[in-house]
Amino acid sequence: MEKSFQDRLLVMFSWGCALLLFTGLMVIVGFLVVKGYRTINLALIFGDTRPLDAFLLRQQVFGGLFPAIIGTISLILLSIGFALPMGLASGLYLAEYAQPRLKLFFSLMVDILAGIPSIVVGLFGFSITIFLHHSFSNRIFPCLLISALSLAFLVLPYIIKTTQNAIESLPLQVRLTAPSLGATQLENIIFVLLPSALSDIVSGIVLAIGRCAEDTAVIMLTGVVATAGIPKSVFSNFEALPFYIYYIASEYSDQSELMKGYGAAIILLVICSGLFALAHWVKLQIDPKTQFSY
Amino acid sequence: MGNKIKIQIKDLWFYYKAGPILENIHVGIPENTITSITGPSGQGKSSFLMTLNRIWQNIDGASVKGEVKINFGNGFKDINYPNYPLPQLRKKVGMVFQVPNPLPTSIYKNIAFPLKLIGEKNRKKIFPKIEYALKKAFLWEEVKDRLKEDANVLSVGQQQRLCIARALVLEPQILMLDEPTSSLDETSLEMIEQLLLKLKKKCTIILVSHYMDQIKRIADKKLVLSNRQLKQQEEEDPLKKKIDTPL
Repeated sequence: MEKSFQDRLLVMFSWGCALLLFTGLMVIVGFLVVKGYRTINLALIFGDTRPLDAFLLRQQVFGGLFPAIIGTISLILLSIGFALPMGLASGLYLAEYAQPRLKLFFSLMVDILAGIPSIVVGLFGFSITIFLHHSFSNRIFPCLLISALSLAFLVLPYIIKTTQNAIESLPLQVRLTAPSLGATQLENIIFVLLPSALSDIVSGIVLAIGRCAEDTAVIMLTGVVATAGIPKSVFSNFEALPFYIYYIASEYSDQSELMKGYGAAIILLVICSGLFALAHWVKLQIDPKTQFSY
Repeated sequence: MGNKIKIQIKDLWFYYKAGPILENIHVGIPENTITSITGPSGQGKSSFLMTLNRIWQNIDGASVKGEVKINFGNGFKDINYPNYPLPQLRKKVGMVFQVPNPLPTSIYKNIAFPLKLIGEKNRKKIFPKIEYALKKAFLWEEVKDRLKEDANVLSVGQQQRLCIARALVLEPQILMLDEPTSSLDETSLEMIEQLLLKLKKKCTIILVSHYMDQIKRIADKKLVLSNRQLKQQEEEDPLKKKIDTPL
């Protein structure tokens, strides 16, 4: 059948959009690589310290990005560690347990939470810290733990929404299988619903990881600093790659420092890509649909 | 009459959202027979099955009014009584859906799943039960060497027999099948019909089916669902005689 004019227009438009997106991405990545590839070496990460000494924490790293990398990774792990159980449980509640009216109300709340700008979340974390400092202990300061909790707040809606949608979009057949065999609601959730929805839930976790890795506004107000070394505990200050990039971009003193900023951006990109690839791999491993694709 | 009544339904109404799907159903279903339900699509045949194991409670907007009394060997009890223990009910009233719904796991674990739900952990006890159920569903020979494989690699016909085996592993007293052969080829269809004929010696079977010839072949009692009513199908004489002969 001859394609109509509208059909062709739509196809052209879709191709155009895809091309634009791809070009944009390539320009950004290309720009970073061209500007920064010369700085990528062990010294960028470890400064003058021997890598093994840095890993074993035998020697502090000065002038390298190692503390910022460790800071960012610990921040991601902590935030996701807080947000994941809460998000899963809330999503499950909304999908399986909530009465229609409560569900409407809580869904609206989650949407509002998703719409809060990160700088506001950061201010909130900061205010809470001040409040705690004044009312409980004057040893409470902005730190890794508070940053991670604030970030967890920021990414919670992604995890709640994807969990809820993943479970609600399971076909009725799947939902009724276990109950029809005598499973209780909890057994149905644990043995059938969660495992069936898990690969979709992973997509939400990936989004959350990305958000934790790149966010600057929240951590800027809640504990990140330019030089702190590797965080000694969750109660200490920390360094992070996005903040380092922001800091260099706004206050670099010479060309070599600026180059290090580009290097940091590339490393951040690599870490994120690595985490996404890992999440994608996990997704493939647990998705029953892709395991037997013939 | 050769067979005692197993399920006695009185004044049963089924609603979905606001509208009634089934109205004022009165019917008795005899033990150890195959009772067929036919009728136009979308008239509530599946809904009727759902009232017998109360699985409708898992569907938003569904509600039921009326009496469904089942005799599981200790007298007739109304399953719509609010405190009636649902897991126990559903273990005694097995259900097989129209489209096979294996769990996304191995063949073995699919059949073992209901046993896991009743807390059976002893592998030595589980395995013979799995073998028994698979043999009953005529699937054992085809899968005995690959029980660890994913259930989704099986053909649709095999998957349907797997689901029947899974429903049988707890030895239910009632087995409901919702158009179990609609997506199957000739051979699988015949196998499932043979299976049902064999099963009815131990089990009360309720079969929703579109195929009139299938019903003629295997059903003992024939019901038609249309206009929200469940009625006895008009019968020719020789078939009617068949119901009355003891089995």
